Amino acid sequence: MRTVDAGAWREEWAAARAAGAHYFDFLTAVDRGDRLEVVAHAVDLGTMDRVLLGTSVPTRGGRLDSISPLFAGAAWHEREAAEMFGITFAGHPDPRPLLLRASEGAPPLLKSTVLAARVAVAWPGAAEPEVRDDGRRTGHPSRRRQRPPGAPDDWLEEGP
Amino acid sequence: MSADLPAPSQARGVIGLVASACTSCMICVRECPTWCITLDSHTEQVDEPGARRPRSVNVLDAFAIDYGLCMYCGICVDVCPFDALHWSPAFDYSAADRAGLQQGIERLESWLP
Amino acid sequence: MDAPVAAGRYRLADDPEVCIVLASVGLACCALEVDSAIRTGLLVPERGATEARHTVLLVSGTVTDALAPAVVRIASQLPQPVSVVSFGACASTGGPYWDAPTVTKGIDQLLPVSTYVPGCPPRPEALVAALLGAVGAARP
Repeated sequence: MRTVDAGAWREEWAAARAAGAHYFDFLTAVDRGDRLEVVAHAVDLGTMDRVLLGTSVPTRGGRLDSISPLFAGAAWHEREAAEMFGITFAGHPDPRPLLLRASEGAPPLLKSTVLAARVAVAWPGAAEPEVRDDGRRTGHPSRRRQRPPGAPDDWLEEGP
Repeated sequence: MSADLPAPSQARGVIGLVASACTSCMICVRECPTWCITLDSHTEQVDEPGARRPRSVNVLDAFAIDYGLCMYCGICVDVCPFDALHWSPAFDYSAADRAGLQQGIERLESWLP
Repeated sequence: MDAPVAAGRYRLADDPEVCIVLASVGLACCALEVDSAIRTGLLVPERGATEARHTVLLVSGTVTDALAPAVVRIASQLPQPVSVVSFGACASTGGPYWDAPTVTKGIDQLLPVSTYVPGCPPRPEALVAALLGAVGAARP
């Protein structure tokens, strides 16, 4: 993968398309914690050369030029990345949500988003085994509370 | 009968439990991505001959896997430090109601020879 | 929007006396195991004139809120009474996607389910075992 500046995103893709990469494959994003990495892939079906470009935008309020004017197929991918990660694709011809209803809340695929269902259900891993019959706790009082796998730092704690 | 057909080598039937190996450490419960394992235990004091103080041991009261939620990733089998969880080829455990998909110690043990 | 559904009469290789109308709604990966059960002969298409005495709606794969109404509509269009079998974790409870805002947490939220088949996905043999059970339960 070749990494490019966010400001050069459309230009880079215009050049790749002009050079023969006409088959658009996918565009998606990855939450790296401190930034969002946007990745897109296209192929030159004549030479089978593959173009995989990546760029970074801020985790909140990220903006990137839409490449839908270059690749019609990118339109749905950008709509999905927009609603799942909260990225704005400037110049997108049809920026409606693709899969989520408008009132869904925080972008679901950001690592900081805690899905409501995971809060509504008690995590079975929160139970501590070290409560004795008489109600007193054994084990180290300073033992750090565990978090479910993938839960963000501010995961709310459930007491026994 | 189709039940007698040999399972493909990569088939994941079900996960069974060796309750006597379980120390209630809770690692499987915590690592399960779908939160489908529940465990209840309590602590007992065991006198050791020659020791000044009794030893604390965890006693497993209940262990259940909700196979309605389980996605058969096998993370619990991999992380158990005491090899208490194992794959078993069994597959005939459908249920007539939602609650029947949760399997407790007795059924989980029955799946291992 | 309509869900992909294939409906046909089948006999179970394990119990050829049984002829069922199987309406299979294949929503995701579990549909491949149903397909495998048919292709490997565990379910045999019925070509003759035998009338099927049981109707089974087989829901395989993740039920999304968007598609759930179509599944309910299909159930109402089948010859009644229908036994609904939820095949796999997703159809039974939402499965590994139980926390997703767009997923229906099991088709039993909308239709009465007679048999829940666990698995992700269940083996084709599990489908046969479940159908035998569903039909057995429906027999007078």
